[in-house]
Amino acid sequence: MKKYFHGGIHPADGSDKLLSNQVPIRVYTPKSVEISMKQSPNGFSKAIVKPGDKVSKGDLIGVPANFSAANVHASVSGTVKDIILAKDNFNREYEIVVIESDKEEDMISNIPEREYEKKLVDLSSYSKEEIIGKMKEGGLIGMGGAGFPTHIKYETKEVINYILINGAECEPYLTCDHILMKEHGYAIINGVLLFVKAANAKKAYICIEDNKQDVAHELENIISGKNLPIEIVILPTRYPQGGERQLVEAVLRTEVPAGELPSSVGTIINNVGTAKAMADIVLGGVPVISRLVTVTGKVNTPCNYLVPIGTRYSELIEQSGGFTAEICRVVEGGPMTGNCLFIGNNPKDLKGSVAKNTSGLLVLEDLPKSESPCIRCGECERVCPAGLAPFKIDFAAIEGNINLCEKLYATECISCGCCSYVCPAKRELAYRITEAKNEIIRIRRERGGK
Amino acid sequence: MKLKVADQLHDVGPHIRMNRTTKEIMQDVVIALIPAFLGSIYFFGIKALILVMTAVTTCVISEYIWQKLRKEPLTVSDWSAVVTGILLAFNVPATTPVWAVMVASVFAIIVAKQFFGGIGSNFANPALMGRALLLFLWPASISGYVSTYHAGADAVSSATVLGLYKSGSQISQFSKWDMFIGNIPGCIGETSKLLLLIGFAYLCYRRVVNISTTAAYILTVLLVTFIFSGEGLFKGDILVNLLSGGLILGACYMMTDYASVAPRVKVTLAVIAGLITAGIRLWGMLPEGVSYGILAANCLSGLVDNLIKPHIYGVNVKKSK
Repeated sequence: MKKYFHGGIHPADGSDKLLSNQVPIRVYTPKSVEISMKQSPNGFSKAIVKPGDKVSKGDLIGVPANFSAANVHASVSGTVKDIILAKDNFNREYEIVVIESDKEEDMISNIPEREYEKKLVDLSSYSKEEIIGKMKEGGLIGMGGAGFPTHIKYETKEVINYILINGAECEPYLTCDHILMKEHGYAIINGVLLFVKAANAKKAYICIEDNKQDVAHELENIISGKNLPIEIVILPTRYPQGGERQLVEAVLRTEVPAGELPSSVGTIINNVGTAKAMADIVLGGVPVISRLVTVTGKVNTPCNYLVPIGTRYSELIEQSGGFTAEICRVVEGGPMTGNCLFIGNNPKDLKGSVAKNTSGLLVLEDLPKSESPCIRCGECERVCPAGLAPFKIDFAAIEGNINLCEKLYATECISCGCCSYVCPAKRELAYRITEAKNEIIRIRRERGGK
Repeated sequence: MKLKVADQLHDVGPHIRMNRTTKEIMQDVVIALIPAFLGSIYFFGIKALILVMTAVTTCVISEYIWQKLRKEPLTVSDWSAVVTGILLAFNVPATTPVWAVMVASVFAIIVAKQFFGGIGSNFANPALMGRALLLFLWPASISGYVSTYHAGADAVSSATVLGLYKSGSQISQFSKWDMFIGNIPGCIGETSKLLLLIGFAYLCYRRVVNISTTAAYILTVLLVTFIFSGEGLFKGDILVNLLSGGLILGACYMMTDYASVAPRVKVTLAVIAGLITAGIRLWGMLPEGVSYGILAANCLSGLVDNLIKPHIYGVNVKKSK
């Protein structure tokens, strides 16, 4: 039986992924890195080094400053050159640690042969507490994009039955998870087994969309006949298949109650990249200091890069041969939920660097757009995975009627962008609904605070 | 909450969009209506061409003037007024005076569409509102049905097949094939079911409309008239009800109107429209009930939308293990 979630779209035809999923991984090690102390949308860490300090690869350089943050480690060996203060879109300040590498070193050439990359290793000596402790120590956060610290998920008081490993990679253009599953099957399976131990779960499902059958078969071969608590689930290719609520709906045939976390239905969801990093931390002794990043779209040579955390985006564009469109829109992450970093034609103006949750750097041609009146075709309502009526919430948001937005369940929006994608009037539905949702949450918090 | 407007919105995501616009949708509807338009000229001659052109021009010009006078953003280039014009002309017989079509067009665009906020905000189908206006004010202007050029004689006054069927008169002079291809008296755009269905198939192929609403409407009308329109229960003539009136035109092009039919509950509304249409055909004063059936469903759209609650992900879902 095919496993479906409600709503969703087919935003691409597969050619977008072909740009980068047949090209071998390139390893790139920059001379200096800019490691941000804001590694996820709401996680702020505090630097514990100062300019002039010598650091080695893997040294702790930042500690969490708030609930959603995790440890940050040096991704290259060298000297701390500078600590820059930066501000995000919401005007929140954070530090960026600039480290200059002191030796010409390749990211992977001097790494010893790793046993867990080649076979399933014996994990019986690891206890639940030990694994969760290492997650925290190694700075493990959701590598799929949300960037929430993994150890917090596992410290839940709920009973966890299932782990869903998200290998759907439903965003168009991105292929880093696909490549990761292709290259690091054993490490991922070892990581998943660690997750199962950490949660005392009954079973883990590795969820893969049917446009990546090749890796599904490879992973199947690794686990077959070994009586492991792992099942590979093939899902139809449909965006937003990788949304955690949608995965729960499609795989476990149940829904996560509104306002609750997936743990309320006994489930934890992790990305395949997180599973690989888990294995690296526990079995390889390396914290999260590198990742695969898809650089694709309007660049000369689209490719997946293995880079240290903190690699400047401008260097990645340069490595890929520069822009190929007149005016480019550079997006951090996937095209549906990613964040527009910059619009222009000179890659040197591109700010920012690879964070632990950076899945891709996407360059698109910047096209003009303008909104026209809603014609009430109902497409947005049909594709909304949450079952909302986006056009109604949009009207309410424009009127500033927050109460109506709340009645229309704007809070249940998952910001997947399907509504804006299909809208023939090109209305910015997802943007305004997300703003309304944030406003409602802010008001609720204020009320709760009184 | 402070929302970005106009230019500031340029960088918000998602960063890829489906390449379909309002204009393309409206153009698709116009393309779909072309076969029936050509058919109307074939069956009713130059009068049909004049009526369609008059309606389209009047609709477009009144929308343009209204938006200019009100200093609103011009949306007249989105082709929706063209669609309204064509549908309005399709809904009147060939003998309708040109002035009546012009009045109906102005009413459809200004009162039925712009008074309620323009494209997307009209509570009822503008073309049907235009027709309803004529039915109220000058019923004689749109009741002069004539036979087609190809019925063996020159255009002569004739009642519609549906009218004859309702009054129990002889209808055997009209074959089912003539009804299907459009060689019968009627409104200029409604008679050729074949050409309307070709256009509708195109709209389905282009995914502008979904067949469910159309099917629900037609099946409801057919079911009810099958049960009650014959002598005794379950003896009604399905084909006459299907092919002789405006059912196909209404089901394919009016019931599927976006703005006036709440999308989520459109099938329910189609069933309601079908019941009312069949009711009018069976027990009402008029032989035809399509326009009032759809207009009634348009008026109930908001209510039905409120009564049938959507399922929101995770709402009213219990925690479970």
